Parts: sequence; C-alpha cells; structure tokens
Amino acid sequence: MIFAEWKPLDELIDKLKTHKKVLLVGCATCVAECAAGGEKEVETLAPLLRMALKKRDHSVEIVTATLEKQCEWEFIEQLAHQVTEVDAIMSIACGIGVQALAERFDPITVYPGVNTSALTIREEAGLWATRCAACGDCILGETFGYCPVARCAKSLLNGPCGGTRKDGKCEVNGDVDCIWNLIVERADERGQLESLSEFKKAKDWSNSRHGGPKRVIREDLRQ
Amino acid sequence: MQNMESSEEPLLNFVFAFGKAHMSNKSQRPDQDPEIVVLYCQHGLRDEAKGSAWYQESAGLSVRAEMMPCSSKIEVSHILKLLESGADAVEVVACPEKSCKYLVGSLRAERRIEYIRGLLEKIGYAPQRVGISHKLSQSPEQLIDLARARADAVRPFGVNPMKKGE
Repeated sequence: MIFAEWKPLDELIDKLKTHKKVLLVGCATCVAECAAGGEKEVETLAPLLRMALKKRDHSVEIVTATLEKQCEWEFIEQLAHQVTEVDAIMSIACGIGVQALAERFDPITVYPGVNTSALTIREEAGLWATRCAACGDCILGETFGYCPVARCAKSLLNGPCGGTRKDGKCEVNGDVDCIWNLIVERADERGQLESLSEFKKAKDWSNSRHGGPKRVIREDLRQ
Repeated sequence: MQNMESSEEPLLNFVFAFGKAHMSNKSQRPDQDPEIVVLYCQHGLRDEAKGSAWYQESAGLSVRAEMMPCSSKIEVSHILKLLESGADAVEVVACPEKSCKYLVGSLRAERRIEYIRGLLEKIGYAPQRVGISHKLSQSPEQLIDLARARADAVRPFGVNPMKKGE
C-alpha cells in the first residue's frame, strides 16, 4: 500500500489558521490501511485541529468527508457540493489524492495533511515496512522475492555491502534484516546459490523517476 | 470470544449526545465545576449497580458515566470528541491487564490513552485531561472517587479551553 504519515500538527495548524471554513478529506483506501488518512483518522484529526485552533483563538470551522478513493474522478465528484461552502481543503490522502483535488477544485487551496513516503506492507499490527520502490524494472525473479532496491539501505544490486552484522541485520539499522543476507539464505535453501553469480545486465533506470514523469497510454483501454 | 461489534453503538450515541447537549448549552460558565466523563468497562462496576449511562453532580464536580462492553471499544476519536465538546477530562476505567475478559482489551485501551495524551501535549492541552484506571467491580461511589481524582489532576490547568467564549 501507499504509506503516509500525518504532518506535524503545528504545521497543519499554521496552514489552517487564516481560513474561515475548511474541508478535511480522507481516503478509505491505502492511507486508511496505514492508519493515516481513513475515516477514523479524519474523525480523530478534525477534533484535534478544532481544539488546537480554538486554543490559539483562531475561529476556523472544520467539516469532514472521506472518499472511497481520492484518486478516481468519479469519487472526487462527490465533494462538489461541499467544496462550494469552504475556502480551503486539507487532504490526508496520498500525494495523488491531494493533486487530484487541487486539479478538480481549482482555485481552492488544497493542503496536504500527510507526508507520503513509501510503498509498504503491514508486517504486524502497528508496524509497516517498505517492500517496493516502484523502480520500473523489477528484478524480484532474480533475487528470490526480496527487493534490494527498496530494502537495502544502499539499494545494492550485486550483493551485501560487507557491513552486515553477525546476526544478519543491516549495519545502518540493527532492527532491519540485511536483505542480501536473506537473498543469499533463500538461494542457498533452494540450492540455487550459483545463480547469484550469474552475469546481470545493468539495471534500466529509465522506467523509474530517473526517466522523468511517467505517462502511460493503453490504446486498448482508451475511449 | 463474544462479538463486541454490535455493542459499539451506545458509546457512539453517548459521544454524539454529549456533544449535542454541550453545543446547545451556550450558558455554560468557564468557572463551573469540572465536568468529568467516565467511560467504564462493564466489568468495572458491580453487577447490582450496572446501567448504561448516568449523570451525577457531586461536591465540586459533575460526572457523566457510560458503560462499555470493553475498554478496547474506545476509539481515539471518541475521547477527542468528548474533550472537543467541553468535557474537562475523561477517565477510562479498564480491567486490570490480566483480568480482561477479551485478553488484550485493557492493554489496547492503555496504549490508546497514551497515544491521546501525546496528541494533546502536541496541541498544547494538558495530557492529564485523559487518564486510565485499572479496576474491577467498583461501586458507583468508587467511580465518582476516580472522577474526583481526575478532576483534581486537571484543576491546575483550568477549564477546558473549548468552553471559553461559547
């Protein structure tokens, strides 16, 4: 899922303090899964902001809504009637949702309420960890299902850096597995250790952010 | 384990009704006695005293109490909405950790209370406005004593700022 976290509350309060009426909008998809921007978080953040603004003598009304998806125009349209009554929007969806609202409801200011930071899996309750870097040239088939681009602190593609701890953890963060240690262990378990010594072509980064903003056209899906 | 989902509605109704009552009560004075909300696990009160919600004015404070199926049913938003509506403090009465009928319910409640206290601190509210006690089979008088202790803890910080200028 796309992972996001609330921005510092002081930053949010500072953005809203000059407005009269603000629409706080959540998204019930990825950011709900990571407990940052779903309906529950909207209903938590709204009273918190109201209390903070009132304590600072700012008279700002905050109304709320949560869309099923903030990255689909059909769902975004549901806000049209509410947006006419506010002078700003704060979105706690990922950056895609924030930009979609800004595009649809221009010229109303849309503030991001969260920082979108990673593509993660929930490893256990209250613990999310990066699994994908959206690099555009997936090598998981060659690395036994572990992604060194996303999960190695140095994104090394040709083996461990040499700083792996004795317990198999990363030298940068002792709470995190050295992903190359896991790759080598799994290769060994499957009797395929030799495959890691095979020559690999240089990774093609042109399909990642290095290649500029992505724009994909599928003619079979176009109207 | 019992299904607790169906029992969530009374707590939501209580939070909503509390807010509605305070929204309409514009004459509330900032200098009045602390108003404490007590949210108690159904096992926190003696059987003969159980009821859904009750209100009592005691010397120096007023107490509104609501029974829950388990303290873990309290969401962060419930407590923040109670404070937003004007409660001076909220006291959660949960089971002692090893006595929780739902095994981890009171532990979850404790973690949520800690989280809320952190949020309150960040916005400049006294974290003491939210507290948790671990008790079983209390009498109504004992619940009021817990409310009184919470009131004493928040009295130095004055009334809830949400009451000012209503």
